Amino acid sequence: MTQRAWTFRFWMGAIVVLSAAGLVERAEAVPSFARQTGMACEACHTVYPELTHFGRTFKANGYVLDNLRQVRGVNARRGELLDLSQTPPISIMAQVSWTQMQTSVPDVQNPDVSGFAQNGTVAFPQQISLFYAGKIAPRLGAFIQLTYGNDSGSIGIDNVDLRFADMHILPQDKSLVYGVSLNNNPTVQDLWNTTPAFGFPYAASNATVGSIAASQIDGTLGQDVAGLTAYLYWNESVYAEFGVYRSAKQGDANAVTGAAGPLDGTSSNVISGVAPYWRVAYEYTHDRHSIEVGVYGLSVSMLPGLTDDVPTPLSGAKNEFRDVAEDVQYQFLGDEHIFTFEATRIHENMDLNASFVAGSVANSSNDLTTIRATGTYYFRRMIGGTIGYFSTTGSTDAGLYASPGAGDPGVVTSASNSPDTKGWVAEINYVPWLNTKLSLQYTAYSKFNGGGTNYDGVGRDASDNNSWYALLWFAY
Amino acid sequence: MRLHLHIVTALTLLAASAVSVAADLDAASAQAQAQRLAVGVCGTCHGPHGNSEQPKFPRLAGQNPDYLAAQLRAFKAQTRGDPDAIGYMWGMAGNLDEAVINALGKYYAAQKPGIGRRGDAALISRGKEVYEHGVETAAVPPCLSCHGPGAEGGGNYPRLAGQHAQYVLKQLNSFQNNMRDVAIMHGVAQGLKLAEMRAVAAYVQAQP
Repeated sequence: MTQRAWTFRFWMGAIVVLSAAGLVERAEAVPSFARQTGMACEACHTVYPELTHFGRTFKANGYVLDNLRQVRGVNARRGELLDLSQTPPISIMAQVSWTQMQTSVPDVQNPDVSGFAQNGTVAFPQQISLFYAGKIAPRLGAFIQLTYGNDSGSIGIDNVDLRFADMHILPQDKSLVYGVSLNNNPTVQDLWNTTPAFGFPYAASNATVGSIAASQIDGTLGQDVAGLTAYLYWNESVYAEFGVYRSAKQGDANAVTGAAGPLDGTSSNVISGVAPYWRVAYEYTHDRHSIEVGVYGLSVSMLPGLTDDVPTPLSGAKNEFRDVAEDVQYQFLGDEHIFTFEATRIHENMDLNASFVAGSVANSSNDLTTIRATGTYYFRRMIGGTIGYFSTTGSTDAGLYASPGAGDPGVVTSASNSPDTKGWVAEINYVPWLNTKLSLQYTAYSKFNGGGTNYDGVGRDASDNNSWYALLWFAY
Repeated sequence: MRLHLHIVTALTLLAASAVSVAADLDAASAQAQAQRLAVGVCGTCHGPHGNSEQPKFPRLAGQNPDYLAAQLRAFKAQTRGDPDAIGYMWGMAGNLDEAVINALGKYYAAQKPGIGRRGDAALISRGKEVYEHGVETAAVPPCLSCHGPGAEGGGNYPRLAGQHAQYVLKQLNSFQNNMRDVAIMHGVAQGLKLAEMRAVAAYVQAQP
């Protein structure tokens, strides 16, 4: 397989992983939490899935706050053996959507002519998810999501966050929440919607063209890893977390035994050892305002493994990714008006020694920077909208961001070998009930995969990927 | 016979003291549970020590224990029907038992209230007039007749001193339109105009 074909495969694989990771399909609003706590969605969410301060504290405490009748069991000393809600915390979520691109993509049978593929994609459903979200036992809670997606046509594991948390009362009645999270997507356990796993857009089409690059912490590792992190949350204002992630592949098998593990050279992009993750944030609340500033990051050492369909032993040179990000959030929570500003900047340094030795990238070192900023307004939690800006820029690399070859349909290629993608997204929402949302979203690109016009080298412009997306999203 | 009497008396005293110790233990356990709830759950909205910073959520520090317990019972019984009560407190209070309800009342009663917050002097002055003298033309009695000269309340009448003006205003509206069904306050609030409600809310917020 040629270098171009390898990189095409690599990034198409990445896009598939991103989709599976929930980068384009996110969900955090779960009515089972409302049933468990007896509180309406508004306690934890401005409008789902964006969290309020109370929602963040509920999550930090392990999803266990419970006001339901319990099935109890105690030992002879009245020690607690069982404390089980009489109603299981089960929820169902569905998304139905329609997507219209400005210009449809070429049909693979007629790659030189745009417009042969269907435009106006109906997704019925785009996604249906089943959740177990709530208390398992005292101090132990879970957010487990199983998702059917129309892109895969199958049911698979989605975001998972298992938590143990407890609280210690400090002098002057200040709280110290401490806990651990076992999860499968870096930042899925985070308390703010500035970080990638539950960041805006909360729902997006899976029938448009995905841009060519994303950093590791920006959804690339979702459902592909298992992480164990420990955190402290002091006085509901200072949050600190540290943990490690290790590859936990879905659907891969050992070539010798046929068993689910251990991973071998037939798996691709396997984390060498563990990848450290860290997060520090500070939130200040006053009156109806809250402001958060924070930093987070991930350092990944990756063995390429399967390359160009050729198994490659999991040893030797590695690709190193160091992600460092900053985030800020401002929330105003009035009875009538709600406003939120969220922004994050993720910077990734790559030392791609393994890929460089294999000849699949042009530079041994690259960098990538993603910036997202959004402003959201809601009136009476019923009508609102969001305007967001997004930008990904980075070094050019003819291997990572390949130009099209002869007969290549383009679309996901970059004529300039650049990952630069910039644009705006605007969304209006109508929320007739707190668990039902109707959205209309428009995404406009000023630059896509490095260019405004003929970005892919086959004549496609960035604006051809602009799209309308209508969504019905409800959860029960 | 005399010995028998002694034994019976001793056993009775022992049983009584055991009941008393058990009651003390239960009370201590309820008080510890209330403190844990207050710090770890209630405090997220109502603030550390019940001194909420967010005007949506009432300040509870120094509140009269009987009033607070009565509200918790009303939330639990789902008889207090203002929107925030339904959205937040019906669920929150749904599983509280009587001992913890009383212990929460005691916990917040024992907390030091935050200082009053000054605002628009003219508005506060108008509010003082309404608070101390009522609105004679609309048959609104003076608030102080129940809530006390310093808005400290008493018994089942809530302390209003230092309470968020926005919260007080919202409650007066809820009394007026009977979402919060309290006959005496419905009668009072019916006679109040919006400007008078704003004024009296600003006045009580300013009280120490």
